[in-house]
Amino acid sequence: MIEGKILLFGFNRSAIEIGARLKEQGFAFTYIDNDASLLPKAKKLGFDLVIADYSDDETLLSFGIGEDVTFVFTLFEEDVHNVFLTLSIRALDPHVDIVATTHTKDAIHKLQIAGASTILDPYQICGKRIYKLITQPEIMQVIDATIFGEADINMEQITITEHSALNGTLLSECYPTQNYNMLLIGLHDKELQKEFIFITEGHNHKLDQGDILVVIGKSAEIERFKMDFSL
Amino acid sequence: MNAITSFFVRFAYYLEASETYHRAKEFCRTLLEYQHSKLKFYFDIFMVFLVVISVLFLLYEVKHPDGLIYLDDFIQFSLVIFVIEYLLRFWISSDSHKLFLERYEYAINNNLPFSLTRAILAILKKKLDYVISPLAIIDLLAILPSFRPLRFLRIFILFRIFKLFRYARSMKTFTAIITEKKFELFTLAIFASFVIFTGSSAIYIFETQQNPKINTLFDALYWAIVTMGTVGYGDIVPVTTEGMVVAMLLIIFGVATIAFLTSIIVSSFQSKLVELKESRTFADVDKLENYIVICGYGRVGEVVAKMLHEDGYKLVIIDNDENKIKLAQQRGLIGIVADASKSRILGELGVGKRASQIICATNSDELNVFITLTARSLSKKIIIIARVIKNTHKKKYFLAGANYAFSADETIGLMGAQYITQPISYAALDEMLTENTGVIFDILILHEHAYFANQPVEALNLSEKRLMLFGILRKEETPSFQFNPSSDFMLHHHDMLIIMGRKHHINSLRKLNDQGNMR
Repeated sequence: MIEGKILLFGFNRSAIEIGARLKEQGFAFTYIDNDASLLPKAKKLGFDLVIADYSDDETLLSFGIGEDVTFVFTLFEEDVHNVFLTLSIRALDPHVDIVATTHTKDAIHKLQIAGASTILDPYQICGKRIYKLITQPEIMQVIDATIFGEADINMEQITITEHSALNGTLLSECYPTQNYNMLLIGLHDKELQKEFIFITEGHNHKLDQGDILVVIGKSAEIERFKMDFSL
Repeated sequence: MNAITSFFVRFAYYLEASETYHRAKEFCRTLLEYQHSKLKFYFDIFMVFLVVISVLFLLYEVKHPDGLIYLDDFIQFSLVIFVIEYLLRFWISSDSHKLFLERYEYAINNNLPFSLTRAILAILKKKLDYVISPLAIIDLLAILPSFRPLRFLRIFILFRIFKLFRYARSMKTFTAIITEKKFELFTLAIFASFVIFTGSSAIYIFETQQNPKINTLFDALYWAIVTMGTVGYGDIVPVTTEGMVVAMLLIIFGVATIAFLTSIIVSSFQSKLVELKESRTFADVDKLENYIVICGYGRVGEVVAKMLHEDGYKLVIIDNDENKIKLAQQRGLIGIVADASKSRILGELGVGKRASQIICATNSDELNVFITLTARSLSKKIIIIARVIKNTHKKKYFLAGANYAFSADETIGLMGAQYITQPISYAALDEMLTENTGVIFDILILHEHAYFANQPVEALNLSEKRLMLFGILRKEETPSFQFNPSSDFMLHHHDMLIIMGRKHHINSLRKLNDQGNMR
């Protein structure tokens, strides 16, 4: 579970979607916007919306940035707001995770410079999906149905713990997911800089405490795997 | 009903039922009328050739009145062709038997007396309408001078040049402009003829006695037109003061008239030019097969178009923003400025015929749903992919007949939430979707001669090939998707293997699969 607060700046459709999912998973979070006319809508949907002038550093500090805020989303329709907000927050706290959305290609680079941890580009994602639907419809249908969809096949990350039987083993020697109906997609090796490495890259990893495996499979199977390897 | 009427009725029904008749008429229409038929294209070229040669022959004859034997034969031949063409056009201009039957059936169904004479008159009127249409008159004038009794009309052979109007599409624009501006031009013509008439009669009255060059009214008319047209040859000049005043006034009115005329034609041309360009684009679209129509060239449309264009897909883009279409055209795409909500546009763009997919990517749910609905009503087969703006409307897209519909916000929501709880699996998902690292998903189809058909999954030996089998699609079974099949799972023909890995690894597996059975 995450400790610390989650702040979502900008109350719009993307924000509502993210909020709905966070709520499902039991996270507490706060919406912040400067448009008071959105209040009734937020109330109707059952979300907490704070109206504040986010361009003011004092206000940002009062929300707990630099203290107990761990995640910030900047979801405004205007890239100008997103870039400015990202920059302000990064200046106040160099460690907070900032997820920024953008609506133009040029803003991606600016958000990176401003210090966003990750950038979500809805149009790019949407365009890419349409492209995949046309070029490889079968694959997209499968991905949609499994990872995004209702089917009970999920993607999950598993961290190797100190007492796990997997701690200290070589991936080439034991293919850990063999006896489970799940796929090991790749992993995050603490010793390597790269965030995520696909298993098909063929490196022979030594699993250590703190390494993270990413698997796809039925939730029950993943649970069974976690139990068996005391993860 | 008397015998004659019953004969006509029976004959009309006979024609209606005759397949040969319909086929012949259809063939003639393809040859002469249908804008996009290949046959018409070759026929037009042939006719242009005939016209040009026969006019050249006329010019040759001026100095060589005896002519050449072959050329004479050629002229006879071209005449025959022109006559046949004229008759065929006359024939296909309207469906007389249909007109006849319509009237007959109307009379029978409503218990009204049927008048044969009136039906025939209606038919004749229709045909006459065709005969007096400008293009038909030109056709006729191009034929007439070739008959010996009408030899004096030889100059009308030049009318054959006008026949070129028929065969070149852009030439038709001129005719269209003239017909469109009929009212303006007519007003102007009345004004001009009034000025000319006044001018020429004035000069005739003032100068016939004094000026030796003006003897007839024709001379006066000739002078008036030359002066008014600001040409002023100077072969006839006014000598009296009154005549000079007439000349001055005539010049002023002449300049005004010409300026007026020019502006009418130029403005009409400008508006037509856009249409002309558009019809060019439509003609380009007509040549395409299996293309993708993208409605809306916003950010999503742009991204999709760019990627598909790079992959060599044929695209047609519609947007009602001129600037966006200009941008698309600069990028080498076919773009049309149009309101995609007009069902006529989609039909004209071949949705329902030659387009294989349509992408609704405008930034309004109403428009997207409307386009979806229109496209589905035009074609049952077309694949419709729609971008949902507001997630709550998603269901409506499927009701309207979309094959795929999804909202970017939904994906953003999923990925945003994923980032908080599972940042590493978010990174994995991101890389799987963007394929930035070169690891891709691909499909391997076990075709008829595939090496791996009827072998267990084990035989693929994927981990050694640095690949991973995500699952298998077997369309005839439900559920069709088998996630992570076990190693003894038997592969069948027509299975689709969804494989993850680097492209070149997947390609080497594909090669092995393709040549496998040769061993």
